[in-house]
This record gives sequence, structure tokens and C-alpha cells, in this order.
Amino acid sequence: MPAPAIAITDLTKRYGDSGPLAVDGVSLTVEPGSVIGFLGPNGAGKTTTIKILAGLLSATSGTASLGGFDVVRQRASAMAQFGAVLEGSRNVYWTLSSWQNLIYFGRLKGLRRSAAAARAERLLTDLGLWERRHEKVGGFSRGMQQKVAIAAALIADPAIILLDEPTLGLDVAATRTVKDLIRALARDEGKTILLTTHQLDVVEELCDRVAVIREGRFVTDLPTGTLLSQFRKHDHYEIRVEARTEPVVLPDGFTAARGDEDTVITGQVQDGDDLYALIESLRGQGLPLRSLAQIQPNLEAVFLSLVEEPARG
Amino acid sequence: MTTMLSVPALASPGWANAFGNEVGKGMRELVAGWRAVLAEMITFPVFYLLIVMFMGRGKLLEELLVPVLIGLVGLAFIHEQINRVFWSYLGDLQSGVLEQTYLTPLPSAVVVLGRQVAAVIGALPVVAALLATGFVAVTVQGGMFPFEPAVLVPAAAIVVGTCGLALVLCGLTLVFKRIESITQASVAVYAIIGGTLVPLSALPDPVAAASRALIPVAPGIEAARAMLLDSATLTDLGTVWGLGWLLLQPILLTAAGVVVFNRLERVAKSRGTLGRY
Repeated sequence: MPAPAIAITDLTKRYGDSGPLAVDGVSLTVEPGSVIGFLGPNGAGKTTTIKILAGLLSATSGTASLGGFDVVRQRASAMAQFGAVLEGSRNVYWTLSSWQNLIYFGRLKGLRRSAAAARAERLLTDLGLWERRHEKVGGFSRGMQQKVAIAAALIADPAIILLDEPTLGLDVAATRTVKDLIRALARDEGKTILLTTHQLDVVEELCDRVAVIREGRFVTDLPTGTLLSQFRKHDHYEIRVEARTEPVVLPDGFTAARGDEDTVITGQVQDGDDLYALIESLRGQGLPLRSLAQIQPNLEAVFLSLVEEPARG
Repeated sequence: MTTMLSVPALASPGWANAFGNEVGKGMRELVAGWRAVLAEMITFPVFYLLIVMFMGRGKLLEELLVPVLIGLVGLAFIHEQINRVFWSYLGDLQSGVLEQTYLTPLPSAVVVLGRQVAAVIGALPVVAALLATGFVAVTVQGGMFPFEPAVLVPAAAIVVGTCGLALVLCGLTLVFKRIESITQASVAVYAIIGGTLVPLSALPDPVAAASRALIPVAPGIEAARAMLLDSATLTDLGTVWGLGWLLLQPILLTAAGVVVFNRLERVAKSRGTLGRY
């Protein structure tokens, strides 16, 4: 049985002797090849956890390991299979070209120059930067700089990749490129990816699993589908009928919003009979039915409900 | 029973690879900043000639040219090494790139050592400009420019000892960030009491002793002056603390620098200041 790609056990971090706990007894296990969304509001403990995992910050207690190697006691082995794009920093040298950066970081991670060059050529080609490889990164657009940062994180072909806000500040096209890259890394190359972002549609699209941290503790850690289904409201429906100028007569608890083509009716039914009665009522009013669906919460709604719940004692 | 994930094949030994890599980056930065290097290659010799001229009441006295040159070469090394390492470290901290340099299987000491060597090489153009100016000035005065191959020993002692000092300053930067005032003040202190312009023999005894003990350039400059001006030999320097201290001081300073840097690096990792500005 392979070791977990990422394992965090009872991790706590307190800044200073009397400061509050930034991370409070967090545990997390991520199997190889999975993509996990690590979410939380600002100040929840995400960055602290990530930096401990990357060996950039020491924990007050608890352990963190990458591929079975403790990030403190077996740092060299842990870092040999790890690459990261960290949020809020340049990640690469803007005074150097993308080519120079990739060679530099490749050799820094222990690759021979020839191996770093071969890998850099492939990454820059895949990311559409090959033609501009000798230009200084400082002159690139934000999206191109982020691509170089991602390429630098991937230069040693790490098995475990941490991407902290990889699409922050990117335009639609660049975001799509990064999303496609993450998907390819996970699906085609079997990489383990820990993804943090506030763009929850990206998480919903890419992550097998979602862990949400709030006030230094995990409030949930579930497969994405399971999490969404837990928040699915089985008795809430959305019914679309043809838009009419006349007002629609509805039972209590239902609301109607008239659009250009459809009137959207939403509300809660007690049971199937209530639903049939509503449909009959609409048919009786001469409103052609366009669609009927259970309301499915998206990850953003789930996330907000998780982080806005009253804090546990 | 669990099995570890496979570790990608790395160059062996990776240390030398990464060390050379860091030196290479330093060289690229040196080339990229050639204008600043050129400016220093002009200003340092100008200051040298002005200092000699003021000390000689308006004349470039031959008896002052070489002693001042030796002091200024030492000062140039310490100035260039400390400033190059400090500012590159602070710049990497501010931009957040420093954290990426820690995501490596290699110890951070390798990276820091590479930066030091790059800084030493970066100091060479200024030192070469100073030496060339001194050579021309001495020759024009009709004198002989002294050279003794063994003087490379005190020169190496200056460079190695300064590495220890730079390590301390890098460690302080990790924890306290904006310490440029300390950095600049330290260079000024070395200029005043490090035997660069005023020989240690002219300083009060306690100050000279403290300087010999703690300032990386002091024993090296004192030894170089003894060898080039008084025809002393390496084994019989005639300086107060002799060859033993000339060789021991840089080793002790560098060892102290490594210890202090590692300690401050741990503090930075505990406080979370490794990447925060």
C-alpha cells in the first residue's frame, strides 16, 4: 500500500507564545493521484497549513509528510517530490528569462543541466512560451508570469504539487489554460494536487475532494460529490414555464421571477402530491411547462454555508 | 506496511550542481547590473585617489599610495560582498522568490554559500580597478608597485571572514527584514576601525584588539601591509597576533556565521518571516 501523498497529523501552529492558534489540531490525508481543494476564508489557516507542509514554517506540534517523508526530519526526500506555486509571491526571478528561471530552479532541485533543459523545453512548449523563452519574465503579462511559475514548480516532475491561488488575477483564457494544465496533470500524469483558490468553480470542476478550514479547524473534508449532495435540498424545485404578462397564481412558499422567455418558479414542496398539484395548477393557468428540476447547490453556496455557520465552541 | 513514493532521479552529488547554479545566477545578475559595476569601478578609484591626495595635503605621495590601496582593497571586498548578498537576499524576500529557493532537497546553506562566492566574484572588477589605478599612480610617481604571491593568503582570509559576517547579516534579514541601516553602519565601522585607512597600530590598544578579534578585514589588511611594505614573510609576519590568528579568525567567523544563520533561520521558520515582508 503506498504511503499517502500528503499526510498532516494533529497539526497546530501558534504564532508567538501567547498568540491565538492559527491552526488547531488539523489532520488530513491525501491519497496519491487525487486532486483536493483546500478552501477557507481569509485568515482561516490555509496559508499557515500550506507553509508548514512546504517546510517553510515550523509547526507548534503535530507532523506533516509528503510521500511518506516527514517535511522536517526527512526534508530532502520530501522536497524531492514536491513543487509549489505560492500565492502572493513572484515565485520566479523577473530579472531572468523563463528559460533561465527553469534551468535555475531545475538545478536548484538537483537536476543536471541537460535534464533541466529537456524538461524546460517540454514545459515551455506545452505552455505556449517557447518562442519567448529568452525574454525577461518581468516583461510578461500576469498570465504568462503565472505560467512560468507553474512551469518552475513542475520542472523536476514532482509527484505532489501545491497550487495556491494559481488562477488569481488571470483572464478567462489564461484561467482556462491553467485549468486544462491542472486537469492534464491529474488525469494524464497521476499527480497529486493540493489546490487552494477562492474561485470555487475551478475547485468544483477539478477537485475530487474538498476540505474546508475555518478558524484553524477543518469543518468538512469530503469527496466533492458527497459534499454537494449533502447540501442538496431534495424538496426544493425550480420550475420554468413560458413567460406571460398575467400574474401566476402560486401556492404559499413559492416565488416567481419573470424573465424574457421563461418565468422561473422556485419553492419548497412537502411531498410528491404537492408537486403534482402545483403542475396541475400551472397547466390550469395555461402556462406551458419548460423544465422542472431539483435545485442543486453549487460549491460556492456550500462553502458560504460552511464558513458562515456559527463557530463551534 | 506502507511504501514510499518514488523520488525523481537527481544529479549526484546535487550540492555541487546547486552551488554552481547559484554562482551562475549571481554572474548573470552581475552582467545584468553592469552599469552599477561600472559606476563602482570608477567611484572607488576616484575615492582612493582623493583620500591619498587629502592625506598628502594635496599631493599623491608614494608612501601613502600603497598602504591606502591595501586598506581600500579590503574595504572593497567587505563592501561588495555584504551589499551584494544582503540586497539580493532582501530582494528575494520581498518578491517571495526566497521561499521557492527553500523548496529544494538541498540545504539552504548551499544556496547561501553560492551567493557568497558570486558576491566575491562580483567584487573582483572593483578590486581590479583599484589595483590598476594604484599601479598606474605608483608607476607615474616613479615607484615600484609591490607584489608578493603570498599576499593572496591574507586576501583569502579577508574574503572567507567576510562570508561569516555576511551569513550573520543574511540571518538577521530573514528575521528582521529591513536591516540596511545595520548593514551600512557595519561597513562604516569597519572602514573606521578595521585598519583600512588608519592602521591598527595607530588605534588605541583596546580598539585595535577588538578589531583584530572581530573585524574580518583587520588581520588580513595588517598582514598584507606587513608583507608588501615591510617585506615580512607569511611565516614571520611580525604582526601582533601573527599567522595563526590570520588563518584562524576567518574560520571562526565563518563557523560563527553558520551557527548564527542556522539559528536565525529556525527563528524565521517559527515566526513565519521567511517569505513575509
